[in-house]
Amino acid sequence: MSLIDLMSMAKPEKESMRKVLAKLGRSEFIDCFQCLKCTSGCTALKLLELKPHEIMKLVRLGFVNELAASEIIWTCATCLKCVQRCPQKGSPYHVIMALRNLAVEREAKVPEAYLKAVSQILENGLSQTIQKITTRKMETFDRTSLKLPKISAPKESFQTVFLKALEEKQE
Amino acid sequence: MKMAVFWGCRILTSQYAYEMSVRQVFPKLGVELVDLREATCCGGPVKSINAFAADYLAARALALANLTGLTDLLVPCNRCHFTISEAKHRMEINERLRLRIGELLKEDGLEYDPNINIWHVIDLLHDAVGLEKIKETVKKPFKGLELASHTGCQIIRYSDLGRVDDAENPRKLDELINVLGAETVDYSEKLDCCGAVLTYSHQDAALSLAGSKIKALQGLNVDALVVCCPACQMMFDSEQKDAETAVGAKLDLPVLYYTQLLGLALDIEAEKLGLHLNQSLVDKLLTKLPA
Amino acid sequence: MPKIGVYVCHCGLNIADVVDVEKVVEYTRNLPDVAVAKHLTYVCSEPGQRMIQEDIREHGLDRIVIATCSPRMHEETFRKTIEQAGLNPYILEIVNLREHCSWPHSEEPEKATEKAKELVRMGIARVRLLEPLERRKVSAEKSVLVVGGGIAGIQASLDSADAGLEVYLVEKAPSIGGRMAQLDKTFPTLDCSACILTPKMVDVAKHPNIKLFTNSEVTNVKGFVGNYEVSVLKKPRYVDEDRCVGCELCTKVCPVKFPDKFNESLSHTRAISIYSPHAVPKIAIINPNHCLRLKLNKDVCGKCLETCEPKAINFEQQPETIQLKVGAIVIATGSEVFDASEMPEFGYGRFQNVISNIEFERISDASGPTGGKILCPKNGEPPKTIVFVQCVGSRDKRFHEYCCRVGCMVSLKQAILAREKLGKNVSIYICFNDLRAFGKGYEEFYRRARDLDINFVAGLPSEIRNAANGSLCFDVYDRGTNKLFEMHSDLVVLANGLVPSSDLGKISELFHASRSADGFLLEAHPKLRPLESATVGVFLAGTCQGPKDIPDTVAQASGAAAKTIDLLWSGEIELEPLKAVVNKDLCSGCRICESVCPYVAIEMKTEIVDEIERIRAEVVEAMCQGCGLCASACPVDAIKMQHYTGEQILAQVHAVFEETEKVGGS
Repeated sequence: MSLIDLMSMAKPEKESMRKVLAKLGRSEFIDCFQCLKCTSGCTALKLLELKPHEIMKLVRLGFVNELAASEIIWTCATCLKCVQRCPQKGSPYHVIMALRNLAVEREAKVPEAYLKAVSQILENGLSQTIQKITTRKMETFDRTSLKLPKISAPKESFQTVFLKALEEKQE
Repeated sequence: MKMAVFWGCRILTSQYAYEMSVRQVFPKLGVELVDLREATCCGGPVKSINAFAADYLAARALALANLTGLTDLLVPCNRCHFTISEAKHRMEINERLRLRIGELLKEDGLEYDPNINIWHVIDLLHDAVGLEKIKETVKKPFKGLELASHTGCQIIRYSDLGRVDDAENPRKLDELINVLGAETVDYSEKLDCCGAVLTYSHQDAALSLAGSKIKALQGLNVDALVVCCPACQMMFDSEQKDAETAVGAKLDLPVLYYTQLLGLALDIEAEKLGLHLNQSLVDKLLTKLPA
Repeated sequence: MPKIGVYVCHCGLNIADVVDVEKVVEYTRNLPDVAVAKHLTYVCSEPGQRMIQEDIREHGLDRIVIATCSPRMHEETFRKTIEQAGLNPYILEIVNLREHCSWPHSEEPEKATEKAKELVRMGIARVRLLEPLERRKVSAEKSVLVVGGGIAGIQASLDSADAGLEVYLVEKAPSIGGRMAQLDKTFPTLDCSACILTPKMVDVAKHPNIKLFTNSEVTNVKGFVGNYEVSVLKKPRYVDEDRCVGCELCTKVCPVKFPDKFNESLSHTRAISIYSPHAVPKIAIINPNHCLRLKLNKDVCGKCLETCEPKAINFEQQPETIQLKVGAIVIATGSEVFDASEMPEFGYGRFQNVISNIEFERISDASGPTGGKILCPKNGEPPKTIVFVQCVGSRDKRFHEYCCRVGCMVSLKQAILAREKLGKNVSIYICFNDLRAFGKGYEEFYRRARDLDINFVAGLPSEIRNAANGSLCFDVYDRGTNKLFEMHSDLVVLANGLVPSSDLGKISELFHASRSADGFLLEAHPKLRPLESATVGVFLAGTCQGPKDIPDTVAQASGAAAKTIDLLWSGEIELEPLKAVVNKDLCSGCRICESVCPYVAIEMKTEIVDEIERIRAEVVEAMCQGCGLCASACPVDAIKMQHYTGEQILAQVHAVFEETEKVGGS
């Protein structure tokens, strides 16, 4: 490889790039000719500076490690507009998801809320705990007071198997 | 019509009004809903952690549907609908994935069936039940009401996967509202995202996205915003007050589920539809309805 | 006893640098029946050819093998060489020592030399069995059918007619001129399109060798090269062509209006009207779908009848079918413009001020719906901002994957015209992905646009919205500044690409011209034969073969005309004898050959044999392309491929394995 990013002195990381491509599944998802339609219409651009075209280009050139360790990949709102409108049938969304998976494998900056969701699922099958709702008239309700059926939690085997699924490496 | 129903997480743990209104309206339209054996997550939030584990959870939802012996599964949440649909597609094209997930499901005593049709509230009502049937069943049509529809993102995109409605010009929710007698407005921000997924990491940005859309709609003087997803309802309704600070404006737009609106047109009591649980000022809307 | 002459070419260094030509010649001298074996630097040169001819005379050679470059290069030349020396031109074998030996095996010269020896041995084995063949001549009609009267069809017609061929030009619209007649100016010269086109249109109308059929379509094609039988349906104008003077008084009194196709539905035309501003022929036409009298089939209205002084109107006019005999066909049916309502995110069809490039062209044209003034369709006011969006429907896997080739130049031209017409105070932007200005004078044209304060945003918008104040607005990220811009514009022009016309499927079938993956008509070879279809005698010109600009269209059209002239000027077509021949005694009439022939070159003939009626296959020599499918499909081996018989090919196979086994090689 004969490319050096003079700002960070980083070189293309072949192995990391291969990992991301393996997670992608469909090779077309990384197809990009920098038309910028995705970034022009990105839900997360104005508020969070997410530039999907930039992520596509960096991954294509092999600069994966900085992205996987970054916060920017967690700003995607998953609105799927980029996938819908890409003229090359590329998908910044899928690339970002693959980078997130890589970030988790490397224990990089993963937002708490996602980890909490996973541990909650392990505990009782759902990603959230049952909440009490306070109405605008200051009354409190929950499933029982609303006469909704009880939620049946999954058996213990669910936890074991789901843990196995979490440990599966995608190659 | 009999179908299984997968509620997901949000509806069961906080967005009770959706569950209430769905359980109320569908029997009146000839659809019997059968609950799954247990409640588990579709895998949505897990996609960012481990795509395989997420696919496993989605396949598990379909395997639970398989247990009921029914071939149709209603998934009222947009995000669950997308997660399960995409997982189903991935297993169709990737044999290794299908086999590996099949193995894991077996360990949990379950079996995956690829022949389950996945429905959302919108296409179930629009395509299966049909506008004619709904029109016939309506007892109290809304006249003179002007409403805005928000179909959301994940049931219209991405179209290659086969979604519930057209990605650039979704009309089904509008037509479902029209058949109740109300007018719908066309507005520039129609396809904008509610921002729900950003609540995992960037709360302010999420509120800003939701707030901007409410603000824009208030400028159009609509009577209410109608949604069909618990995540969207959470953003536009439950968090509307919090969004005020994010966009620096007073927000007082009534927001409700389509099934709540439909329930009202079918003359079902507001309380049975969970309208007392909506955080937005739905009273403004209720006063405009015929007695 | 055959006397074989073998000539091994160095091909400069192309062959000799890898293959040891001396060793090959030495080896060849020892093979049976070889009378002469030589090597030269360039066999194809004049002295080389003369040497072969001398050797033929001196040594009485009767079969020749030339081991040189690909037969595609010089086989024809060498055939003539030996023919001039008195041999049948088909007793010649070209052995390819370049593309099949020295070039692919340049890293292994020793092995290449061994392979060269084997290839020559194979060539000798074949040449022993080659049979003399005669080229047959059939008479050819010295006439050309040109389908489509746009600039491609016009140019092809004029060139062929000037060379003395009879030309039948069939155009489905009521006037010729095609797409070019709709343009205001042409890039990069900014010539007025009508000014450079109409003289040619008039030339076509006046040319003694061109017969023009407008409002007509080809409905049937039969026959083979040199002898096509074509049916042309002339649809009724309901106006007598010999009487109408083109005064247009009828149009003024006609009460029925409908969207004007020539003006891309930006204005209305009448049920009786002249099709376009510079129509050739300038004759009125009544549209039967809108004319009250024709639509309702009642004796109503008739205002045009009253007004027409020359009494040219004839509601009783009938369609006419004309039969033509032509020697060649040029397909010049053009293309269509992408319909951007297939991309709803850009608002075409929803927002009045989002228009297509072809609509802008009509607006800009002085003979168009606004008299040449740039006005927004919504309020009829001139825009203060115009934005062009590139690559709409092109370079897009969801619609058409190819680059439309002209989109960038068209937008540059239209931006420059807008600047010239609207003045300095209007903001003009072009949002692009890649800007392609590849032709002669094109890059200079791009610079001219920049000099006129036309701004370029390096990025495409995701969608276009209607702002509260009624203007169009959208966000676009610019690669150059790395900024997200919010843009507001009065007018947005979409650079829609050229797409295959919707009736191309019908045309493809009618003329046996296949289509490529992108939907356009397929050329015989993408590099070396861009003007011909795979069917002999059917040529392609213009955008029906692929999107292109006017210079390329004209070049291709003139080229296609040259090909028709080349084909037909002698009034005779020489057929290559490399064709299939059916042995009627063996043929059982099973028709399998007929079903596999891709060129419709096999006919079943009924014959009486021993008082019993039998059907036997017969090859139509003129249509046969020598592909060999029939010969391999025939279950009783009744079909022989001339010059490629089974024995000849098997002899080559045996030659390769024979001696190798003898000397114990692998």
